[in-house]
Amino acid sequence: MIQHIDVHAVLQESVSGIYTDLVTRPTGRVVRERIEHAMATAHGAVALARIDFTRVGCIDYSCADEIVAKLLRGRPAVLVLTGISDGHREAIEPVLAGHRMAAVIERSDGTLEAVGAPDAAVALLEELVARRLAVRTPGGTLALTLA
Amino acid sequence: MTRLIEVPTQFDDRSFDQFASAFAAATADGERLLFDAHAAEWASPYGLVGLLAAGQAARSSGGGGGGGGTERPLLTAPTHADVLTYWTRAGFFREAADLFEIHGKVPRVKAADESDVLLPVTPVRAAEDVHAVVSKIQERAAAILASELGLDPKATMGFAMALSEACQNIVEHAGTGGWVAVQAYDWRRKLAKRVVVIAVADAGVGFRHSLEPTQSKRFGARWGDAAALEAALIQGVSRFRDPGRGQGLAGIRRYLARWDGKIAIRSGTARIAIVPKWDDDVPLKDGLPAFPGAQVLIIIPEQGSTKR
Repeated sequence: MIQHIDVHAVLQESVSGIYTDLVTRPTGRVVRERIEHAMATAHGAVALARIDFTRVGCIDYSCADEIVAKLLRGRPAVLVLTGISDGHREAIEPVLAGHRMAAVIERSDGTLEAVGAPDAAVALLEELVARRLAVRTPGGTLALTLA
Repeated sequence: MTRLIEVPTQFDDRSFDQFASAFAAATADGERLLFDAHAAEWASPYGLVGLLAAGQAARSSGGGGGGGGTERPLLTAPTHADVLTYWTRAGFFREAADLFEIHGKVPRVKAADESDVLLPVTPVRAAEDVHAVVSKIQERAAAILASELGLDPKATMGFAMALSEACQNIVEHAGTGGWVAVQAYDWRRKLAKRVVVIAVADAGVGFRHSLEPTQSKRFGARWGDAAALEAALIQGVSRFRDPGRGQGLAGIRRYLARWDGKIAIRSGTARIAIVPKWDDDVPLKDGLPAFPGAQVLIIIPEQGSTKR
């Protein structure tokens, strides 16, 4: 099963109903803990979690580290990031590269891309295919097998 | 007895050391301080937040006089009407009122919500303040960065990230509150271009004290304010052992490298800078007059040919 986590909604519940930006360590920590809790208490076996950043404004480096890098380190399931803007990538990519980690981004057209440290990115995509969570499309891109 | 500290007539990062020198000399004996800004002709955001940090330090060290810090230090406001109005619009007096006993007539104008003051002098004490700053700057900065500085509209988010990380240094490391201000202006003297300037200042513990428990041994005899700044800005070292720490300043550096910007951080007796081609600042200065806390300056120039 795929679990969907709306980060904007988590942010609004966690910190304030006013702000849409993921900034500061304390905010990142609270949001990550809520996501971890949601993943730990999900009904059924979660093979993959879609972490959806749609409607999230700015993400700073501290939050990218506190949320994305630490979620990946704990790795309760395969994480796929969606709703990622160019601005979000600007924070997430260097943070992951600094940790020699990679994450999968699902683009709006459904194709997958791994970002972060190059070696880790290649290994991650290979792992998704090996675990049959993703397949190569006729166009040569990757897409999730689960809807 | 009251000790006089003259606020430089042109008060910015260049004249800050002159101010810090006067501050260090005047605070030596714990007497009440008088910050004299009556002759001020211009102050950059760096000057304004730096002056507030001095007021904060004076109060906490008893330089407000009275031994226990119960009396506030004195501040003589600028006498030039335009200067006074600008300092007020920039939000300086709103913050200064809590720190200083102000002498002089302060006009009743609101802190600016328009014009070149992208973010008036704003206190930063907690994570919630950083949220408010980032939220506000994104509304106001997008147009200025794109239309006046020629930055890609996407650069606005990077700008907000840089601002957020600069402010978080106060929350995470200073051990006290501080201030941030953001302004766009024509920088004729240096570049003949528009620039956006972020200035952040606090009178907290400073980089050396913050990093000492984890870094002093590594540096040995070299350890000091300059080594601490080098560790933080160049090596991305943090006082926290968490491997993800130290990302903030590294992220600011990446952003500035892309937009040909500058960062300078002063803490204690040292100052470090990442110097772009258009500037003639020195990368590292040590042995400066001591000043508490940390003061950060970020400059992003209008894009296009940048001449020296």
